[in-house]
Amino acid sequence: MATLELDSITKTFQDGDEEIVAVDDVSMSIDDGEFLVVVGPSGCGKSTTLRMVAGLETITAGTLSIDDRVVNDVKSQDRDIAMVFQSYALYPHMSVRQNMSFGLEESTDLPDEEINRLVSETGEMLGISNLLDRRPSDLSGGQQQRVALGRAIVRDPEVFLMDEPLSNLDAKLRAEMRTELQRLQNDLGVTTVYVTHDQTEAMTMGDRIAILDGGELQQIASPLKCYHEPANQFVASFLGEPSMNFFDVTLDGNRLVGDVFDYPVADEVRANLGQTTDLVLGIRPEAIELVERKSDAHEFEMTVDVVEPMGDENTVYLHFDPDADPDVAETLVATIDGFTRVSEGDSVVARIPEDAIHVFDRLTGEALHNRSMEDAADQVDLV
Amino acid sequence: MSDTKPRTDGGATTTARLRRTLDRMTVEDAGLYVVLLFAALFYIVPIESGLVTSFKTGTAIIETAPFAPPGPSGFTFEKWQTAIDALLRGMGNSLLYAVPATVISAIVGSITAYGLTIPTWKKSYKAVVLMLIIAGIFIPYQAVLVPLTQFWSQWAQLDQVLSFVWALGVSNDYAGIVELVITHVAYGIPICTLLFRTYYKTMSEEMIESARLDGATLRRVYRRIVLPLSGPMFAVVLIYQFTQIWNDLLFTLVLVSTESSPAAPVVLILAGLGTSLEGQDFALRMAGAFFAALPTLAVYIFFGEEFAEGVAA
Repeated sequence: MATLELDSITKTFQDGDEEIVAVDDVSMSIDDGEFLVVVGPSGCGKSTTLRMVAGLETITAGTLSIDDRVVNDVKSQDRDIAMVFQSYALYPHMSVRQNMSFGLEESTDLPDEEINRLVSETGEMLGISNLLDRRPSDLSGGQQQRVALGRAIVRDPEVFLMDEPLSNLDAKLRAEMRTELQRLQNDLGVTTVYVTHDQTEAMTMGDRIAILDGGELQQIASPLKCYHEPANQFVASFLGEPSMNFFDVTLDGNRLVGDVFDYPVADEVRANLGQTTDLVLGIRPEAIELVERKSDAHEFEMTVDVVEPMGDENTVYLHFDPDADPDVAETLVATIDGFTRVSEGDSVVARIPEDAIHVFDRLTGEALHNRSMEDAADQVDLV
Repeated sequence: MSDTKPRTDGGATTTARLRRTLDRMTVEDAGLYVVLLFAALFYIVPIESGLVTSFKTGTAIIETAPFAPPGPSGFTFEKWQTAIDALLRGMGNSLLYAVPATVISAIVGSITAYGLTIPTWKKSYKAVVLMLIIAGIFIPYQAVLVPLTQFWSQWAQLDQVLSFVWALGVSNDYAGIVELVITHVAYGIPICTLLFRTYYKTMSEEMIESARLDGATLRRVYRRIVLPLSGPMFAVVLIYQFTQIWNDLLFTLVLVSTESSPAAPVVLILAGLGTSLEGQDFALRMAGAFFAALPTLAVYIFFGEEFAEGVAA
């Protein structure tokens, strides 16, 4: 168990004469026993970051330390880390038992009986005791995934690294393994860095999540904080499904003026915006409420364009102007209760509550005003 | 009655099935079968002719067509007997250099390919080393004959280096066998390296990385992961190299030279077998050729399954 510290880590690749920056000045520190999820779209540099921690890629600049020991130039095999790969990377010519013993045989001086005991114990913990004498090719995807995990766990490393370990599983198994992985990590208490592009995994598994885009760290915080208090527009749009609604607006006095609507803001919100006038208004679909009658400037008369029933909830696509061409008109996506009956073409009144709005600087994307997490929590309590 | 009835039924269905197959056959299908038949004959007839000829007496060769089997009166094992007697010592000598040369070039090729594929070192250096090795494939045998003899006769005089072996009573002609081993290894390394490299390129990178993270050094990764997984490619390389070295006449002519030498390989003896002033003894030549080819056939049969796997990969 150990702490892991990335200090201004940068990675550049040479592509002909061009220099490609894959990871740009990323700093983060991971506590002992913490479960950190690194998430971002493909090509954001998350895997490269993980591979640098593993020692599979060289670090162009910055320092990497495990337990205050700088390991930039320490070889992979001497870093005492275990990694689970997306492809599982099992050794096809070895039995499950040999696969799991391999690391202990190579990295420790333990006697054979001790190695055997550890492998059997780990096999039991993961429920794969009956598979120990089989070859990887005789196992299902889920079983192979367990063996890959077992191979990492049995070594009892300082740090676990996982590179999209669940993405080759089907949806049901993935959900099961998600829970099981969390439980295992909790029990073992090993510092873990987990890379994924799946925002459900990011939201549900980690103590904290680090969101990367274009090689730069966008935000590192608890999942709920990232969700409710995003550092910028990218984080806001990346987390949440359906994703946050964004409208380009201009600040005019105490009003946010958009193409098709005006949104008055209170002084407390106004104070956060400072001198910036080119803004983006953001609102999460689930924060939008459908009300009976328009009674307030935060409510808008709208037309239902499309309804997607999900069972427990409906996703509805709303237009401000009933006559507008649906392909180009500004759309507001709202998530409402599954029992509320709305259908295409209906006229409805949508309320955009002021305590739930986010305001971003249109130029930099930086968040100027966020809903506060306390407010969000209060609302949940009320429901 | 009851016995014949099902048989007629069976006959009827077979005829019906045959008729249906014929009905469905297009001109293209028929053409394809004709071509395949000719291709099969093209390959089989020379082998068949050779085989039947090797069992014929001198008169049977003159009286029967080359591909026709000998009659009971024209059949003899005598030529095989003679061929085996003449070639057996050559077989031993050939194995003496073909086996070590094959095994060593395969192992060296595998290790070289591993070094050029798996470890991370500068791509530009890798490319240069690889280029130098691959260039070796394209140097024709004829081009090196003179430098090769010069090298062995003037630069590396094995005859003297190995004098302690000749003191044990081994003919010093066997220096030629050692020279053949080294020459064939040197000539085989490029192609072996290329074959293994192509194979290692397809190995899962994550698996190798996983082994490194598991604490294995480069050497251990080769020993425990890469080498055990190289079986199919070893089969390909062993078959290819063995056949190549076994059949090579040029280097043996240059390095051993006389068929009367105690170290003469089978190809040298075979070249003179059955030729005399009275003319060619076709039966003897055929028997000799088949006998000399047996080891290469055996290699194909032993490694056939792995060979297919390796070629597919």
